[in-house]
Amino acid sequence: MTFLLAAIIVAITLGVTFWASRRNTSAGDFYVAGGRISATQNGIAIAGDYMSAASFLGITGLIALNGYDGFMYSVGWFIAYLTVLFIVAEPLRNLGKYTLADMLVYRLKDPRVRTYAAVSTIVISTFYMIAQVVGAGSLISLLSRGAISADIAIPLVGVLMIVYVVVGGMLATTWVQIIKAMLLMFATIVMTLLILTKFGFSFSNLLGQVEAKNGAEFLGAGVKYKNPIDLISLCLALVLGTAGLPHILVRFFTVPTAQDARKSVVWAMVLIGAFYVMTAFMGNAANVLLGKDAIEAANKAGNMAAPLLAEALFGGAGTAGGEFGLAFVTAVAFATILAVVAGLTISASTSFTHDIYNGVLKGGQASEADQFRVARVATIGVGVVAILLGLAAKTQNVAFLVALAFALAASANLPVILFTLFWRRFNATGAIWGIVGGILFTLLLIALSPNIMKIDPDTLTTGRHLIQANAIFPLENPGIVSIPVGFLFAYVGTLLGASRRNAAQDDRDFEEMQFRAYTGAGTDGTVAAHD
Amino acid sequence: MTVSRSRPSPVPARNAAYQQLVAQRNAFTVTMTVTFLVLYFLLPVLAGYNKPLMATKVFGNVTFGYVLAFLEFVMGWVMAYIYVVRARAFDRLAEEARQ
Repeated sequence: MTFLLAAIIVAITLGVTFWASRRNTSAGDFYVAGGRISATQNGIAIAGDYMSAASFLGITGLIALNGYDGFMYSVGWFIAYLTVLFIVAEPLRNLGKYTLADMLVYRLKDPRVRTYAAVSTIVISTFYMIAQVVGAGSLISLLSRGAISADIAIPLVGVLMIVYVVVGGMLATTWVQIIKAMLLMFATIVMTLLILTKFGFSFSNLLGQVEAKNGAEFLGAGVKYKNPIDLISLCLALVLGTAGLPHILVRFFTVPTAQDARKSVVWAMVLIGAFYVMTAFMGNAANVLLGKDAIEAANKAGNMAAPLLAEALFGGAGTAGGEFGLAFVTAVAFATILAVVAGLTISASTSFTHDIYNGVLKGGQASEADQFRVARVATIGVGVVAILLGLAAKTQNVAFLVALAFALAASANLPVILFTLFWRRFNATGAIWGIVGGILFTLLLIALSPNIMKIDPDTLTTGRHLIQANAIFPLENPGIVSIPVGFLFAYVGTLLGASRRNAAQDDRDFEEMQFRAYTGAGTDGTVAAHD
Repeated sequence: MTVSRSRPSPVPARNAAYQQLVAQRNAFTVTMTVTFLVLYFLLPVLAGYNKPLMATKVFGNVTFGYVLAFLEFVMGWVMAYIYVVRARAFDRLAEEARQ
């Protein structure tokens, strides 16, 4: 039944993709659906981009196994949208056309910035994508009870996502995202209602049973995170990293105006908030109804908690209802993985085609047809690389890749975005230093952290750490150190570049950028003149 | 790439509405951002340094930690709503500034 439901979902999304393919006629259609997505649709799609398998399966499992500490992830991921809403959404839509690089080059007027911004986008998207692809492989093999191995699941997900993006472009990717977000919300709401009926519509009652089963410390903090600095560092990366994630940023270019960008963030916050609040119910109910041992028996990280909870809520193992619940949630998780990976793929291939191929290699002179063709080839390239890296990394611990993507986005992209928007003296040298320094320094800290360096017990055969030694840098997430250092790099670079600039011209460029960022003057169609 | 330093860059016309927009928007952005960061970081800081408080029961079995976490969600929605309301005024000023 799982395969049937998954096949139906894939068939529907492929149908949408072929419908969308007939409406894609230009490079702008491919990159950002011609900027024609409505605010509501885009809001649902942003929520879809964000509610990845890591959120749905991961957080439910984290709460089921660790109680309150798991829920703190939900809060951080939700609150991150305030940073996006207040600081980046509207100015970005006003200044950019297709990518983050458009916005930086609009102000800084230096073609080198385009190359570095594009590389940063591709690097961050790739790390995020590998994590999703590897996660997809192990999850699908888990969910199919071993019938599909990771070696088959990774290429399967990769090929499907290539089809969505190559054939349907951004329009199809957006609709796949919307369908998946709605299925996921539906599944979560139904499960939460069933949980509420089981526990007398009382969260207190649910927590009481959690306490009776696990002891009082499960209701408070500290089961998972022992070191406060580690927790604060993680929260910092989550809350500041989202505003620099390429697949979230590219979504602001799919809507017609800055007002729509703002409305779509608000829509996303309503959906994401409702979803994450429900994770508190699902995680705790999974703990009570299934028990920690059964959840860990299915998957040590707790990734099976949500599907097993659905099975239990719909009647239990062996019943028709239970089987349907399990199959439905499994199929939704599959759709989730596909949609998120497609969203990442399009941000990476857009950056390559628009910024590197057209912007740098062709001096902005490539024809629409040419860009369209290269975008499709780039997507296949990005997809194949993701599949190969995913296969190579399939036995590695993947949590660090996601943390890495957030920390990279917060340390390399956010300082440059903020300085571009708000700091008069900021210049191209500062942007390049900020991006390159932020990326390299964050990578260095991650390489020295317990994510990569750890002595595993000899009995551990999968998920072994790359370097079997004690970590040099103690924190799992480097945010608390790498984010300030990212700002420092951008600052120092700005000072170094200051002498070589024409201060009066820089001032005029800043004024012009600011006028446009604040008022949206001349947003329609005029960005092309600056490419 | 047609970006060049010699491209005539028209410095936008200054007007009162634009000045007002920049001043109000910056003040608003800074206030809201600082407020939400401070309120948000209460959660990880308390979770790290005051575990007994987080585990204190407030309503029935609902602990202070859960109450604080749910309040963070309410804060997020309320601040988004405030922003939407304020943004209408910004939109009007921006419209005026573009004239």
